[in-house]
Amino acid sequence: MPPQIVRLVLLTIVIVCLYFTARHFFVPQSFGKYGHYRGAAIEEIRAREPLWAGRKECETCHSEVVEKLAKADHQGISCETCHSPARGHVEDPDVVKLPKMNAAMCARCHEASPSRPKWLHQITVADHYPGSCTECHTPHQPKL
Amino acid sequence: MTDTNMITNLVEAVPQFSGYAYPNERTLHPLWSALIVVYPYVTGLVAGAFIMASLVRVLKVKALEPIYRLALLTALAFMLCATLPLLCHLGHPERCFEIMLTPHFSSPMAMFGFVYAWYLMAVLLLELWFDYRRDFVEWSRTEKGLRGLIYRAFTLGVTDLSEPALRLDAKMGRFISIVGIPSAFLLHGYVGFIFGSIKANPWWGNVLMPIIFILSAVVSGMALCVFAYLFLCWTRRVVADMQCLDLMVRFLFYALVLDASIEGLDWLHKLYSAEEGIETMKYLATSKLFYTLLIGQACLGTLVPLVLLGAMQLGGRGVAELNRRRIYFTCTALILTGVLLMRWNVVIGGQLFSKSLRGFMTYKMEFAGPEGWWLPALLLVLPFAILTVLIKYFLARELPTIENVVPGATPPGRA
Amino acid sequence: MSENFAQRSAVKSQGPGFAGASPYRVKNMTRRSVLRNLAGIAGGILAMPAAQVCKAAVQNGLASSNAPAGYDPTRHKWLMALDVDRCIGCGMCVEACQKENGVPQDCFRTWIERYVIKKPGPESGNARGETVVDSPDGGKEGFPALPVPKAEVLKSFFVPKLCNLCDHSPCTQVCPVGATFDAPDGAVLVDKNYCIGCGFCIQACPYGCRFFNPVTHTADKCTLCYHRITRGLKPACVEICPSQARIFGDLKHPVADDPLQRFIANNKVEKLKESLGTGPQVAYAGLDEVVR
Repeated sequence: MPPQIVRLVLLTIVIVCLYFTARHFFVPQSFGKYGHYRGAAIEEIRAREPLWAGRKECETCHSEVVEKLAKADHQGISCETCHSPARGHVEDPDVVKLPKMNAAMCARCHEASPSRPKWLHQITVADHYPGSCTECHTPHQPKL
Repeated sequence: MTDTNMITNLVEAVPQFSGYAYPNERTLHPLWSALIVVYPYVTGLVAGAFIMASLVRVLKVKALEPIYRLALLTALAFMLCATLPLLCHLGHPERCFEIMLTPHFSSPMAMFGFVYAWYLMAVLLLELWFDYRRDFVEWSRTEKGLRGLIYRAFTLGVTDLSEPALRLDAKMGRFISIVGIPSAFLLHGYVGFIFGSIKANPWWGNVLMPIIFILSAVVSGMALCVFAYLFLCWTRRVVADMQCLDLMVRFLFYALVLDASIEGLDWLHKLYSAEEGIETMKYLATSKLFYTLLIGQACLGTLVPLVLLGAMQLGGRGVAELNRRRIYFTCTALILTGVLLMRWNVVIGGQLFSKSLRGFMTYKMEFAGPEGWWLPALLLVLPFAILTVLIKYFLARELPTIENVVPGATPPGRA
Repeated sequence: MSENFAQRSAVKSQGPGFAGASPYRVKNMTRRSVLRNLAGIAGGILAMPAAQVCKAAVQNGLASSNAPAGYDPTRHKWLMALDVDRCIGCGMCVEACQKENGVPQDCFRTWIERYVIKKPGPESGNARGETVVDSPDGGKEGFPALPVPKAEVLKSFFVPKLCNLCDHSPCTQVCPVGATFDAPDGAVLVDKNYCIGCGFCIQACPYGCRFFNPVTHTADKCTLCYHRITRGLKPACVEICPSQARIFGDLKHPVADDPLQRFIANNKVEKLKESLGTGPQVAYAGLDEVVR
């Protein structure tokens, strides 16, 4: 075997061995569990703490409000849509209170626009009434 | 009138885009920035310079013998810098080794680690080693100090200079050249495939993209060889070998004709079939990319060299050698700039319009900062600096001419 | 004695393979070589547990997880559907998503687009006029006044956008390292501890739903609120939407009177950019041909 070839073959073997050693050490353990990715990633992504509590959580304590809502137009809306994230309040109801509601919230959904679908009750706030919406409407039973 | 025409009235008062762009497209800088323009340019030069060198070994074009080593060293200098723009661009460069440890084989980008390693080690360095081995052994005996140590290290401990060994060197060099040609096409073609495979973007996703990338790479690499040879002759105050030079330019011209034809075909097909997005692309080419595409890449980078070099092919004998060299120098400089602009037009151009085909983005390029153009400029200059060092160590003082060059002979000593 | 010693030394200095080697040299080399081999084997055996410890330490340092186990992704198939006729463009979903997932400013895991189709010009011979699309800050604060005068509007509507949960995701296909993937339950996720930030997936997504997160320096996208749905909650956008424009469910375990099943049964559905062959799964009802 010519000496050049011998040297080169040896060098190649060393490099390939180094590569496979590195692979053995550095490829994460859970890689390939479900596919070409770290299986542990699924658990890591799951581990985040949820923020919005969800309507079911509110029903536990505020069932009478939810019952009243169930008969009205706003029945499908989650409580937190208007009342902001309630996770803190659910965990410690006496200490963590939710911020007060304000009438600007109503215009967010109900300001009239040609882009909005016809089934939605829409008003041009400026033309409808100069004062606050809650002077006439109760948010939980908005129909007059 | 198609609904995907670009919208001229500014709907939202943000400077970054006009018309409509998806909210995630409204960034200050394009995601694949100038660094990603530099990377295909550099690997393209590597591939092209190597093709020029393999014309000598594979097609046995004797007249090009004088530039064989220069072409290989040029390829090496640029190859050593090829990973830098990518590393600088990654969000997590410290995780770059993942591409070698867990390559996702459905991704063309995943082959980067292996193709790069294969081409650098098994093709370029190996071919250089077989060509230089005899010189390393001899130089390691005559040189002292650090230089001698370097040459001795490069011999890899093999000091056999017998006739059979030298014949084996030549045979191996030829074999590696043959293997190296498809390897060079793979090295640069996969970059074209990265863009060609993105069906989400009509500027990129078409079947001719890898072909166009390879052809423009060959053109740029050959132009670089001519350019470097002329520059080196000028700095060393040596008269260039006109037979070698004319032949190099003839090959360059053929490559340029092929490249221009395929790029023209791409546009012809796009304009003829006029699929969705054609209005956006026409606007892109004629307005946003007017200077870089129409003036820079097409006129100055392709048409002018085609005309001038074509004229040289037809009536070059009548032109004085000095003027011919001047024309070659100018044309190769134009070609090199034109190919860089081509990379720019592909990479940046593809990010100048929204995938909704309803709007265009505007980006500002600053000099300073992490996204500034100082870094790509530096990475373009660096290979030339490395090439200078390589020439100093590995290319003899007098460039060999066709009269005195014999493969494997002792090169003239360093002055 | 000294002659023997000299003889042995002389033989040794001539190197191996020298013809006529003394039997002493053979015996010495044999014993030495056997001892050497044994030492090598012993060393190899001892090194193995050391190597295991090293490997565990390295892997722990690189990526580890303390999340509770117990969710089997192969037993669910999540799907979101969108009813364009129910979207009122309030933008609460965009806000809810941003708060729930800590999405950075100017990045959007979901967004709302407003389409305004103008009336055709009087002599134009077209059925419809120009289409104007906008999405100010993704629609997060709702939408300001129309970009065109009300009298010119033929038709206008809102379209919520998000990851289309492709069956043949072009984004996961092009990831070079396996950092973004199609989970068995339909979600398309990004492993932010493995992503190298090359941006290939962001370029490959035809829907514009991916972005480069400037905080984590990785690719990022809608995760279907994976941390919520795997705990029996709904994604934040679905939870907060006041008009039931977003419908979510598990195709493998539909609940009683499942809203997703009802939606699929009652509506003609369409997907976005199906001709690209990405196999998008998010179903839209009430889409118009101008929507891209």
